Amino acid sequence: MTPSLDAYVMLSSALFAIGFLGVLVRRNTLVIFMCLELMLVAATLALVAFSRFNGTEDGDVFVFFILTVAAAEVAVGLAIIVALFRLRQTIQVDRLNSMRH
Amino acid sequence: MDFSTLRSLAAGNAWGSVWPELSLGCLALFLLVLETGLPRSMHARIPVVSIAGQLGILGVLLLNFDTPYRATFNGLLMLSPQGQLMRVFFLISSILVSLLARRSLPWQRVPRVEFHHIVLVVAAAMMLLVESRNFVMLFVALETVTVGLYILVSYYRSNPKTLEAGLKYLVMGALSSALLLFGIVLLYGVAGSPALSGRTLEAMQYGGLRGFLEANPDNFLAAAGIVLVLSGVAFKIGAFPFQIWIPDVYQGAPTPVTAFLAVASKAAGFIVLLVLVTEVFAPYDWLVGPVLTLMAAATILFGNLAALKQNNVKRLIGLSGVSHAGFILLAVVSVSREPMAVGAVYFYLYAYLIASFAVFGVMTVLAGPDDSEQELGDYAGLARESPFLAGVLACGLGSLAGIPPFAGFMAKLLVFVIAFKAGHFGLLGVAVAGVVVSVYYYFGWIRTAYFSDEAAISPKTAERARAGAGLTLGIALAALTLGSIVLGFYQGPLGNWLAGH
Repeated sequence: MTPSLDAYVMLSSALFAIGFLGVLVRRNTLVIFMCLELMLVAATLALVAFSRFNGTEDGDVFVFFILTVAAAEVAVGLAIIVALFRLRQTIQVDRLNSMRH
Repeated sequence: MDFSTLRSLAAGNAWGSVWPELSLGCLALFLLVLETGLPRSMHARIPVVSIAGQLGILGVLLLNFDTPYRATFNGLLMLSPQGQLMRVFFLISSILVSLLARRSLPWQRVPRVEFHHIVLVVAAAMMLLVESRNFVMLFVALETVTVGLYILVSYYRSNPKTLEAGLKYLVMGALSSALLLFGIVLLYGVAGSPALSGRTLEAMQYGGLRGFLEANPDNFLAAAGIVLVLSGVAFKIGAFPFQIWIPDVYQGAPTPVTAFLAVASKAAGFIVLLVLVTEVFAPYDWLVGPVLTLMAAATILFGNLAALKQNNVKRLIGLSGVSHAGFILLAVVSVSREPMAVGAVYFYLYAYLIASFAVFGVMTVLAGPDDSEQELGDYAGLARESPFLAGVLACGLGSLAGIPPFAGFMAKLLVFVIAFKAGHFGLLGVAVAGVVVSVYYYFGWIRTAYFSDEAAISPKTAERARAGAGLTLGIALAALTLGSIVLGFYQGPLGNWLAGH
């Protein structure tokens, strides 16, 4: 038995919500970053499911672009996090508040 | 697989029509080639090559300005007179950012050529962004802009505040991209659904999606998708409640990048919003109208009230930029009842570009090695040390505040007249109150520069003020000031042109 479209959409919405809440709630920068990637992956899953059930192909093509973009984002993002850790010796967001006035 | 269909599809690609984007990309690569090819002693000349190249592209673009409406690349891109106007806009901003960077980068121990390289790539991606009429194209162009800006924001990597700003921009930018993406996916999924009437096989295309939304004007999933897409764009333009990243990122980023974020990135977001609201989401005006109205009112109020108590000038200009986003949103809200609002948005963006870069230019000249600490007190008695810089600053701030005879006054007047015609009286009241508040803090800054009794200006700042802007940047600042005044008196062909479209 193949799962229905509703099941896919529910799953991807749940993953997206988990990622979104994670970004808001978690304090470790790396975990936040993983939650951001989770949101992108949730969108990709929904895209593939819609593409399969609707019979339109451009969704499948879009997935490749999203993967490329996510890779670029991770490359830049991890570099920033590593550079910040070298300077501050912490990646906890609640300690990164040197600019509060 | 039948290759003849692919060939016939590719035959419609008008590569010649995207020459400004292509030449910017080639120029960017050429800079890197120069860096590897030239001896180290010549590297200081490379930014000059970048600026000269951009000026050349701008010249050719202005000579070939007239373009008819034309879709190309199978509807991925739409060439239009408005697109040409924005190409000129982004080129002017990238030229000015390169000029400011030429002044600012030598104070830091960072590589210089890559900065100019990324500015060019981001400018080209912004051009593609405002021309795109397909969600895949929109997303890819937007991400090229955003990832480039992640690097630029955290460019002074030995300064912890800059890196902190970079991290905050990264998290917020990625979050907004994910929201936008999920919105696009929902719209794509529901518009292609075989169970609904009016389904389209081209749901990624703006036109195809518009057809579906017209056939189903009250679909819940489509409404959710629209709200998510609007939130994603609202992050980019810094509209309430998505403005939380603005003060910290603006303060920590290098001053030229702050200018790029405040002007070009915001303008790109607004044109995307304008195109989406007028061309795609029009059947859902019952949803988009109230959401944007509330957003505009809250943005104007928040931006102005938060800017009141700022002492750091970068935070001040960032939060006042939030309130400007609210004023432009006021024009975007009016667009469904008053088509003239499109012209008002473009005029406001140009007035904002000219005034902002004048202020950012003065800030760059006065900023010391620690770029993120520029206080209002540093400007005390600036008029005594350098009347030229103080004059440029006063004209720029006056235009931002919307004082006649500057361009900012005409821009605000145009937006208010259009909001009045469209019948948004409540919003208009909020906007007028916002202008009154903004005059207070802009004039506080001018007063500090001109009428401060105690010589609070530090010796080093005074030294930088006396050293002046240098010839090239000085000419650019004078031209911006002149532009602010001329555009306030005489809109001429530009005004007719905007009214005509």
